[in-house]
Formats: sequence, structure tokens, C-alpha cells
Amino acid sequence: MSTYDERNVEPPTTDAGDVDGDAIEELLGDHVLDREQHLNADAYVVRADAVQDVLRTLREEAGFDHLSCVTAEEHEDRFESIYHLKQYDDPTNEVSVVVPTSREEPVSESGAPVFRTADWHEREAYDLVGIEYDDHPNLERILLPDTWQGHPLGLDYNQDKPQIVTFEENANPLEGDHRGGEDSDTMYLNIGPHHPATHGVLHVETVLDGEQVADVNPDIGYLHRCEEQMAQKGTYRYQIMPYPDRWDYGPGGIINEWAYARAAEDLADIEVPEYAQVIRTMGAEMCRIACHLLATATFALDLYGDFTAIFMYGMRDREIVQNLLEDLTGQRMMFNFLRLGGVVWDIPEPREEYFENVRDFLDELPAKLDEYHDLITENEIFQSRCVDTGYLDPEVAKDYGVTGPVARGSGIDYDVRRDDPYGYYDELDWDVVTEDGGDNFSRLLVRMREIEQSARIIEQCVDLLEDWPEDEREIQANVPRTLKPEAGKETYRTVEGAKGELGIYIRADGTEKPGRFKIRSPAFSNLSALQEMSTGEYIPDLIATLGSLDVILGEVDR
Amino acid sequence: MATATPLPDTISDLLGIGGLAGELLSMLLAAALVGTIMLTMTAFAGPWAKRKITAAFTDRISVNRIGPMGLGTIIVDAVRLLSKELIIPEGSDRPAYDLAPVVLAGSAILGFAVIPMGNGIHLADPETGLVFVFAVASIASLGLLMGGYASNNKYSLLGGLRAVAQNIAYEIPLVVTAASVVLFTESLQMSEIVAAQSVELATIAGIRIPAWFAFVNPFAFVLFMVANLAEVGRNPFDTPEAPTEIVGGYQTEYSSVYFVLFYLGEFVHIFLGGAIIATLFLGGPAGPFLPGFVWFTIKIWAVFLFTQWCRSAVPRVRIDQIIEIGWKGLLVLSFANLVLTAVILGVLGL
Repeated sequence: MSTYDERNVEPPTTDAGDVDGDAIEELLGDHVLDREQHLNADAYVVRADAVQDVLRTLREEAGFDHLSCVTAEEHEDRFESIYHLKQYDDPTNEVSVVVPTSREEPVSESGAPVFRTADWHEREAYDLVGIEYDDHPNLERILLPDTWQGHPLGLDYNQDKPQIVTFEENANPLEGDHRGGEDSDTMYLNIGPHHPATHGVLHVETVLDGEQVADVNPDIGYLHRCEEQMAQKGTYRYQIMPYPDRWDYGPGGIINEWAYARAAEDLADIEVPEYAQVIRTMGAEMCRIACHLLATATFALDLYGDFTAIFMYGMRDREIVQNLLEDLTGQRMMFNFLRLGGVVWDIPEPREEYFENVRDFLDELPAKLDEYHDLITENEIFQSRCVDTGYLDPEVAKDYGVTGPVARGSGIDYDVRRDDPYGYYDELDWDVVTEDGGDNFSRLLVRMREIEQSARIIEQCVDLLEDWPEDEREIQANVPRTLKPEAGKETYRTVEGAKGELGIYIRADGTEKPGRFKIRSPAFSNLSALQEMSTGEYIPDLIATLGSLDVILGEVDR
Repeated sequence: MATATPLPDTISDLLGIGGLAGELLSMLLAAALVGTIMLTMTAFAGPWAKRKITAAFTDRISVNRIGPMGLGTIIVDAVRLLSKELIIPEGSDRPAYDLAPVVLAGSAILGFAVIPMGNGIHLADPETGLVFVFAVASIASLGLLMGGYASNNKYSLLGGLRAVAQNIAYEIPLVVTAASVVLFTESLQMSEIVAAQSVELATIAGIRIPAWFAFVNPFAFVLFMVANLAEVGRNPFDTPEAPTEIVGGYQTEYSSVYFVLFYLGEFVHIFLGGAIIATLFLGGPAGPFLPGFVWFTIKIWAVFLFTQWCRSAVPRVRIDQIIEIGWKGLLVLSFANLVLTAVILGVLGL
């Protein structure tokens, strides 16, 4: 909180869209203790007991209806929770609300009553950093086991001391019969962590009334791999880039890498050559197609039951994209293709052959999608299973911070690629796909139509790359070997991942490693809306809804 | 066909054994023969044909490493399944848990006792053959419920309940539709039903079309095929197992030999469904050139192929939708079919 005047450095310029900082300060009135400049937005330091007031005012009177992320961090002298707020209409309009609390008594008012998405984000903040949130509906650990000692991202935490949580120590999901009481009609059912339809290790605690779902509570954290911690231990230049591939391994690797690259390039003020941006855009859209094909295939798998035709067709066609990505990056899943300021290498030689392969794939794609539509979306049984099940109201979706195809399936016209452009997207001709149904069917349609749009983008990229003059093919900007962004610089940048808004918050501490590295996973927020979507429906619909959310647990748990 | 002697009599004549002991022995031999035929077919269908068929539908290669065309997989799979550890879950209801697989597999095989398979392979031909076959086939639901309930697993319980709800909803249309066939034959005896279909329906361009009930009453045939899919629990009606929803339903907790019995019971059940369809609607073992038994086998495999096709290509219906289709759709349609058939037959004075 030491202001820039005290440290005698120039405040960095802020890119906060059309937000009038002074008007907001006035709006918040007494609650504001101080103002900071983050690279992406103005930040208002507010009192720890006025969080709900501030968030409510910003939401209702300033139109910040999207709580994108909550970052918690510990400083030498204080804890801080940062609420990154945006607008669904225009995500370049951003503000951050910084809530400092003392180290002795890290208690801060919860934002969950205002934004329901804060529920999970604050639980994570409590779990990993150790800030306690007053008035939180259910302040429990979310990623680590309940018996874990300490908060691993805190400064006092002993990183070297191993903690082994035995099965006996952990909450036993088999204990008792989990009946509500003698007269209760409900049955408690553990769906997962080992269940054929959880798309990874997800544990859904379900209460059933007959076959109907009375309550669901997704229990996550089985795939937590300390990604934030590991990123904080790596140097900006080379050591962090391999980790993003391991979040959304759908494979959305290039998109994930781009999220980190965008934040870090913002922090270190790196300009990426246009040529590299086009390659990035092409690679990212290939990843998106692969992810959406996987999502379509596994969603169908959830509805059909076995390894059926549509599932195998999806995998077969995804294989072609995987081969293209392999040719481009040298890897099938863990690409490690982007570098700060560019990409690692140019299009593989012979270029013509590669472009021809891409074009072949694009040419065949429409016929394949038609076949998919024949098999699934035009099938009446399929429709009877998907239409009007797993309904997600757009307002509820916004409340939960839902983004990506799930939000667009509820009619929310929100796509970071268009609304907060990066890469080469704003130079290309493509559409944001939305469907108004809000049900499982709409989400499926959005994904299938987005594949077409991604194909359009790739085609234009290939056109551009083919005609690019040979001596202007600059794949990498001039970036120093060691990056040491100025201490105190903070930024939060997002990209449109296959699952939604993938955001990275980085605070530089003057060294070559980030002081705090926070990942905003889209699937994390999307999954938190599951309860809203499946309560009152049948188990098969719960499974279908989970499938239509397209969660990758590697990204949820990080 | 109606005059063919049952298989036990043929055997006792052949071996020249008489008396009570001789008859019993020949009955046992005949039953063993029919049982072996069915189990061999299942052995082909389960580990091999099913995989090959599904692979063909889903653009894969499937088993091809052991033996010609991967046929050795049958042996390998048998050894693998039988040598696995038999895990019995804590708190399972013992006699019921052990009996369920036997009931399931046994009931399905029992049905073949009255099915005329051609070339004199016909164990018994009671006057109530059709009733018998439906009666024993429905015992399978009991096995499913027992297995689901006794496993002490909530998924199994849900699977067992679904199995019973579904089977009740679909057995009534099944039986009612079969009754519309009986209106034509005026007999429940299997040999009579087959014989009634051997007459000529029409001759088109010199090809004689027999009066198979699939041709005479195609509506009933379609109804029966659909209800049969639900009866054997295949897509779109595979809710009792529904791996993506309730893991494996009633068979979740079964391993090793018990699992084999469940698996086997399921396949024999599909074949029994095929045999009933062949007998009721496709003229039983009738067909040109080839021996009757071959035709019969082809017909039940055709039904098997149909179930596998549905399994690969049709999504699963939700449990409440299944019950709705059963009670509100199929039941009404099958009664309409029965009444209409009766009226038409009455008016035509047939």
C-alpha cells in the first residue's frame, strides 16, 4: 500500500477502459482509504468491513456486474484480497478493489452475499493464503484436505515440512448412512471421485430424493498440483511457460500459455511482432477446436453411455488437429510453444505442406460437423435429453462469474477475444456465437458453432501467413534474458480460453520471479454454478449438465 | 414343423434307450446340447463379435492380435474373467447376492427350452410355450433386483430399481403385442406359431413371400422390437446399467465368476429376445436353401446386430422418459394393435 509518491517512482499508466476513476472514488465515498494503479485498472483500497457495501455499490451503480477473480496475497505487513471487477458488456472497463487486513487478525468481510462467485474464490483464498472471511456462507478449505495444517501460500508456511493426510484422517465419504434423520426420504450419494462421468477426479456430493437431485455440492481439489506456487518459483522468461499447458489439457495449451504471456508481456512492457501474433492466433484456435471436439465427444458419451460412434468420431477428428499442433509445436499436449514476446519457432518447413494440411482439415471440417449434427443435434432422443435440462439463467450465470461457451449458451454475449482484443483477433472476420436457450442443448450448439468460427479464423491466419513477406517473418521480439519487472507493478489480464475467461494476476516484486501468481480458471467458476443448474433434476441430467459445463479438472484444481 | 419330434425323443430313439432312466438321460443330453449351442453363441458374441461390431460402427479396429481375426480373445477373456478375484462387498446380503447372477443367467437359458430352432432342435413343445417363455424371461428382473439390492451399494440399488421399473413397463406391451400374434395362430404352442407362418402370403414376381407375422402385421413387429430393446436393456433403454450415470447399476459390485454370469445372462437374454422375435415374427427356422437351424441362427444374430447398432448410435433415454414412453406410449399402442387386429380378423372372418 505504500504509494508511488513515497517510493518516488512514476505510477504506471492504467488501461481501464472508459472508467472514470474519480467518479468511482466519489461513489464509494468514505470506504476508500487509498487509490492504487494496477496496469489493467484503477484499484481502490477499501476498509475490510465495507467489502459488501463497496461491491454492491460498484455492481448496482457503476455496472460492474462481473466479479472475474478474487486474488489473495500476503505481504510483509498485511494480507490483501483483491476483487477484480469487470463489466459483461465491456470487459475493458475494469476496477480492482483491494482489501487489506492486518497480519495479526486477517479477517475481512466476505463478498459472497453480493457476488455468489466470491463464495468459492474466497474459500480458495482462505485455504491457500489464510484470510478469513466474515459472513461467508461456508468458509471451508476447498482445494486442500480438511485436516491440512497451515496455508501454503502464506509467508510463514514451512514449505519443506511434508504433510501426509492419511485416508483415516480425511473426511470419510462412506461414514454413516448420511441420512438426514429417521423420517428423511433422501439418500446421500457420492458421485466420484472415481466415477465414469466426472471427466477427471471430481467428487460431487449429491443428496437424492428418489432419482431426483435435492442438493449437489462439487468437492474439488483432487487434482491440485500447486500450479500457482510453482509459477511463483519460476523465472518469468522461461521457467513458467511450461506450466500453463497443464491446466486445461483438453488440449488448450496454447491458449493457456497466451494467458500467461499476455499478463507477463503487459507487466514487462513487451511488444509482440505481428507475425508471431498471427501464429499464436492460429495455434490458439486449433487448440479451441480440439477442446470443443473433446467437449462435444465427451458430452455425447455422457448421454449415450458407452464408447459410441459420436465419441469415436470426435476423437478421430480431434486427432487431426492434434497432428497439426504436433507439427507446429513439436508436442501433442504440453506444447510450451509461446515465448514472452513471440513464439518459439516459425511454421515448420516445408511451409506449403503444413498449410496444405491445415487447409485439408478445414475443407473437411464442414462435412464432419454436418455428420455430427446428423448424429446428435438432429436426433430426437438426444434433443429430448438436452433441451430444457440444466437450465442456467443469464442473471444467475453472471452472479456466478460464468464465462465462455457456458455463458454464451445462456445468451450472454461475452467473449474476451472480441471485447478485450488481443493477438490478431480484431483484424480478422469472425462472429461471437450465442444461443438463448440456457440449457444443455444450447451449450452444445455454441461449442459446435464455435468450431466453425475457429475454422474461419484459422483460414484467415493461414492466408495471412502464406503471403507474409519472407524477410518480415519476425517470430520473437527483443526481450532481455532476465526480466525483472519493477516491484509493486500489478496486473490482471485475461484471454478467452476454451472454457471461458482465463485470467492471470501477477504482482512483480522486483525479482525475476513473480511475487504473486494467481490463476483465474474459467472452469472453476463455471463448475460452481452446477448446483444452480441441476437441483431438482434427475441424476442423468446432472451428469449431462456436468458434461455440458466441460470442466477439465486440471484447470479447476490447478 | 408341427410334426417334428422333440429333441429328447430323437435322442432316445437314436441311442435306443427307453424307460424312465433313458428318457431322463436323453432329456439331459438334449438340454446340454441346446445349452451348449447358446453358450457358444454367447462366447462368440460377448468377447468378440460385440467388440468387432461396435468397432465397425465407431471407426475402430478392435481385437485383432490373438488368433485369426482376434478370435483367440474369446479364450483369453474367459481365462481372464474366471481367474479374477471374487470380491464380495462388506454388508452384502449373502444368499441373495450369490443367487442373483445364477437367477439371471438361468432364467434366460431356460427360455430356450420351448424355442424351435429348426432341424428338430426343440426341447419341449408345451401348449403354453409362449406363456412359458415370457414367464421365465421375466424372472430375470428378479435377478437384477436381487443383485442390485443385495450388493449394499447405492448405485446398484438405483440400477436394480430402474431395472424393475423398466421391465414392468415394457413387459406388458411385449406380452400384449405377442397376444396379437396369437390371434392369428389361435395357439400358444411354439410349433403352431411357426407352422402358421409357413403358408404363402403372396407371390411377387415369382418369389414366394411367406406369411411371416413381420409382413402380416409390421406394426406389431416394430412395437415388439422396441419393447424388446427395453426388455434386454440396450440403448436407448440401457438405464439399469447406465455406466455414465450409475456406474454399472446392479452389476457394479460383481466381479469374477459372478460378473461373468451377469454378462452371460445379459447376452443370453438378448439372444432369447432374438429367438422370440424370430419365432413370433420371422417364421422361426424357415428360410430357403440353408438348413433351418442356420436360418434361425442368422435371424437371432440379426436381432443381436440390431441391438448393437442401437447401442452405438442411439442416446440413452432418461429413466422418467422411459417409464413415460412405456406406460403412455407403447402400452396404448400395443392395446390398440391388439384390438384392431382382433376387429380386422373378426370382420374378415379369418
